[in-house]
Parts: sequence; C-alpha cells; structure tokens
Amino acid sequence: MDKPEISGNTIKIPPSHKFLADVDNFLESILREYKTEDSVIADIAISVSELVNNAVTHGRKAGNGNPVTVEINHQNNKIKVSVTDNGSGFNPDELDDPLADENLLKEVGRGLFIVRSLMDTVDIQTTNQGTTISITKTIQ
Amino acid sequence: MKLSDREQDGIVILEPKGKIMGGPDATLLNDKLHEIIEAGQKRVVIDLSQVNWMNSTGLGILISTLTTLRNNDGELKLANVTEKIQSLLVITKLAPVFDSFDTIDDAVKAFK
Repeated sequence: MDKPEISGNTIKIPPSHKFLADVDNFLESILREYKTEDSVIADIAISVSELVNNAVTHGRKAGNGNPVTVEINHQNNKIKVSVTDNGSGFNPDELDDPLADENLLKEVGRGLFIVRSLMDTVDIQTTNQGTTISITKTIQ
Repeated sequence: MKLSDREQDGIVILEPKGKIMGGPDATLLNDKLHEIIEAGQKRVVIDLSQVNWMNSTGLGILISTLTTLRNNDGELKLANVTEKIQSLLVITKLAPVFDSFDTIDDAVKAFK
C-alpha cells in the first residue's frame, strides 16, 4: 500500500505522517454531512490527528509497514471514530503526566491527554499486536 | 499548513495558515526558524490568526521555537491566538509559558 484507500466510512493510510491531511479531509467531509458545528469538527479533527500521529509512530516502530485504519460512525447524535494500528501496543498507565512541572516544556507527550480533554469518551484496546482507540463525541 | 514570513520594525513575523497537525508542518516551521536564526534574527512573532487549529505537534513546535530562540538570546511572542488554540494552551497549562498579544502591532511593540 503506497497511498490512502477509502471504502465507505473507512480510510486506510500507509504508516506515514504525510497522509494526515488525507485523513483530515475525509473526516471533515463526513462530519459536514451531519451538519456538525465548526468547533466540534475541530475538536474531533484535533483528536483524530493525535491518534493517527501516534498510530503511525507505533506502526513504524513495529516496522511492519501495515496501514493505519480510521473508521467513522454516526449513531443517534454521536460520532464514533476508531483508529487502529498494528504496532506493538503501549501501556496507557505508563504515560508521563504532561502537566507535571518537569514535563511542561517537553515538545511531545500530551497527545492522548488532549484527546481525553476534548472527547466525551476514549476507549483504548491495546495488545502487543496492535492498538485500537475509539473516541466518541456528541455533535448536536 | 502554509507559511509566509515578513519583517516589521526589525521583528520577524511568521504567518502560518491552515491546520498545524504534524509531519511536514513541523519540518517547514523548524527549517524556517533555523533560517531566521542563521540570518541573525532573534525576535519573532507568530501570528496565529489564520490557523484553524493545531494539535499537540503544533504546541510542540511553539515550545521548540520558544526554546530555540531563548537558547540563542532571542524571544518569541504570539499574536492573534484564536479561541480554539487558547483553549488548548489552557488545558495543557502552557498559556503562562507564552507571551500572547491581541494584535501583531502589540506584539512587536512589546519587544521595545
């Protein structure tokens, strides 16, 4: 796989950060169909970009070249987005606190914290064979 | 993200436009910053009025810019911080780290 592939409400991208904009364009086009407010679109787009950034990084570390998959679903008044990679997983309990004084000026390490701050729910399923993070956000 | 730059009263004004989400965005800003420092410029304003949103990569770029400039006896100021970006700065407790101004003119004046 060397370029994004779209099928219905799912986009798969090669494990490269250069495809972040493709995911963002796909996500925004779907959210606009549901007449989502700009501010909510931004919150979801920021969160998905964080998850895709992490998924690409994890996928690259695993070195398997497998794609990152982003699936978007709408039910009732909620949007659910799931981001899946085939990396080696991580322990969310071992992440540094980005608000701690010693971490405040670090350039990285606050992505998942931001996602948790912006979304209604965040569900993390991770093993040593891959990770799926699902987020939900009320859009109306 | 697109990036343009100009000079006002001896201060470099960086004007990113679009969304700052990672990958090529970080490279673009970092390359420009090093170009500015190598040219002997140390005082920079980033105008955020045309940035729709940024994620943690964008915040990391701002921190990196601030740190790099300070390490070279320079300084960074932000102008026109949008509501969305300000909210991220508050959530992450980074708001007090940056000098923010309502306009570019105010940010430029603050260097004097």
